Amino acid sequence: MIAAVRDLDQPTPSKRVKSGSKSQKTAYLYMTPALITIAVLGIAPILYTVFIAFTDYNQMHFLNYHFVGFKNFVALFNPSNPLSAVFIPTLVWTLTYALVTTGSAYLIGLLLAVLLNNPNLREAVIYRTILIIPWAVPGMITMLVWQGLLNDSYGQINALLHTVGIPNIPWQTSAFWARVSVIMVNVWAGFPYMMTVCLGALQAIPSDIYEAASIDGANWWQKFRLITVREIWAITLPLVIPSFAFNFNNFGGVYLLTGGGPARSDNPFVGQTDILASAAYKMTLDFNRYDLASAISIVLFVIVGVISWLNMRYTGVFKEVDS
Amino acid sequence: MSKKTAAMLGVMPRPVIHKALSSGERTVLWISRIVLIVFVLIVLIPMWFVLEASVNPLNSYVTFSFWPDHASLVNYIQVFKDGQWLIWVKNTVIVAMSIGLIQVFITALSAFAFSKMRFWGRKYGLMTLIILQMFPNFLAIAAYYSALSKFNLIDTMGGYILVMIGGSAFNIWLLKGYFDSVPKELEEAAIIDGANSWYRFTRILLPLAKPMLVVIFLFTIVGTFSDYIMAGMVFETPSQYTLAVGMYGLISGQFGQNWGLFSAEALMSAVPLALIFGLGQKFIASGLVAGAVKG
Repeated sequence: MIAAVRDLDQPTPSKRVKSGSKSQKTAYLYMTPALITIAVLGIAPILYTVFIAFTDYNQMHFLNYHFVGFKNFVALFNPSNPLSAVFIPTLVWTLTYALVTTGSAYLIGLLLAVLLNNPNLREAVIYRTILIIPWAVPGMITMLVWQGLLNDSYGQINALLHTVGIPNIPWQTSAFWARVSVIMVNVWAGFPYMMTVCLGALQAIPSDIYEAASIDGANWWQKFRLITVREIWAITLPLVIPSFAFNFNNFGGVYLLTGGGPARSDNPFVGQTDILASAAYKMTLDFNRYDLASAISIVLFVIVGVISWLNMRYTGVFKEVDS
Repeated sequence: MSKKTAAMLGVMPRPVIHKALSSGERTVLWISRIVLIVFVLIVLIPMWFVLEASVNPLNSYVTFSFWPDHASLVNYIQVFKDGQWLIWVKNTVIVAMSIGLIQVFITALSAFAFSKMRFWGRKYGLMTLIILQMFPNFLAIAAYYSALSKFNLIDTMGGYILVMIGGSAFNIWLLKGYFDSVPKELEEAAIIDGANSWYRFTRILLPLAKPMLVVIFLFTIVGTFSDYIMAGMVFETPSQYTLAVGMYGLISGQFGQNWGLFSAEALMSAVPLALIFGLGQKFIASGLVAGAVKG
């Protein structure tokens, strides 16, 4: 298949030589709209942010800002600097949140997909239609609605728990429960996507592999572990990685739900559930610390970029582009 | 192995057993049902609560109930009386449709180039762009804001659409995978007849890629509905607001006062989109995997 695509580009060797540079120009022509918008709306702001990260551009130095080298980065990572006391825990929480959310959503999605793929389950389409709903609802509405549902004193979730004898859970005032709620709600919103992807992957596995395995005497568990999981993993991993990156930067999933709160007693910049993205956003809009916000953004970018790059190389998503 | 295979095929009267479920299969089936129903409840209960709040005229949620005592549509009537929500819907539909169409156009053009043409930068170009776009663009909000105000685009739909139409490398990658999977025979005939790339693109590949184009269009529309950071930055007057900005203001204000109204608006905003999504679900499942399988 891959070879076929390659062949298509050059129907005959002679034709290729003739139109070599012309087809290259045509290719760039097709890409012009994307390249221009990506350059102006994507890359230029990044470069600007990188620039700010090495300056002292903030409230105090609005017009006369200077180049300060790595000062902002040192402030974030130096253990003796008070800022790092906030930055490091926020970084740890961001990683925890993204890993747990993506992992749980994936496992739940996989479990449900396997259950739904049972041919004896006649009514599977009904479950699937209902289970897909959280993905279909725009994320912004999901988060704002959950903010209301999880309200400590008026929220309907606590009212429901009260009727079954569970005392009020301080979703908004306790750091622990606020974090639990952030993960819970984001898994709630995220598992249908994983389920859909896994279902598609399950249906893409050719059934003769299973038949061959049955003939060789493989039992149910062996078939699941050696065929289903392996095949699904190969197909879905390239989609799991962007999902991790999405959660890592999922500003809305935190900010629209908890506003980053509850507040930390030792620091006004960052709340207990703030992830790096929302921390940087607050530093920009609420505190006008563009310098620190940009430095955090760059750390964020490096982490996500490295993880994604390693994973993409590892999964070989882009292998067919090599030639 | 062929000996063993033949022997097993001979021994197993498979088609006969197939109809009636074995007791093991039946157990698996019922455990599956229970697990699925638990998750169905987890999905539905919060939504039911929103429905309950939207028809609860009293705005009192201290005592728990699955259905209010004096259910009425008073919240819905109020939403339409105010009329503001309808303006937000109109604004959102206009910007989301525009952004969706432009995105599909931009994506299709470059996905075609990446899939069917050779050029310098093809090898690592897309991968580099995907990694670059993991940088969330709202972190550069200061840059966007100053540029928009320089061109007097703050508080205009044009300014917002401009900010949101940046090409998405991920979409390009998805569609490229789809184009890659189109059998070469379909194009070969056209190439032999001397058709140029534009003909191949518009007459052969685009019609085949319709499901994937729909997926990208839907993703973009839902993304625009959900975006409130950029919209909040651009729009300043309530008559220009998109749904996200307007509704955020509603819930972050007085919670108790607005929860019923908010629920009504949330339902009316989410249901149409959820329905479109549900209808396109078949497209989405096949489309996403078609992009990935190629890897």
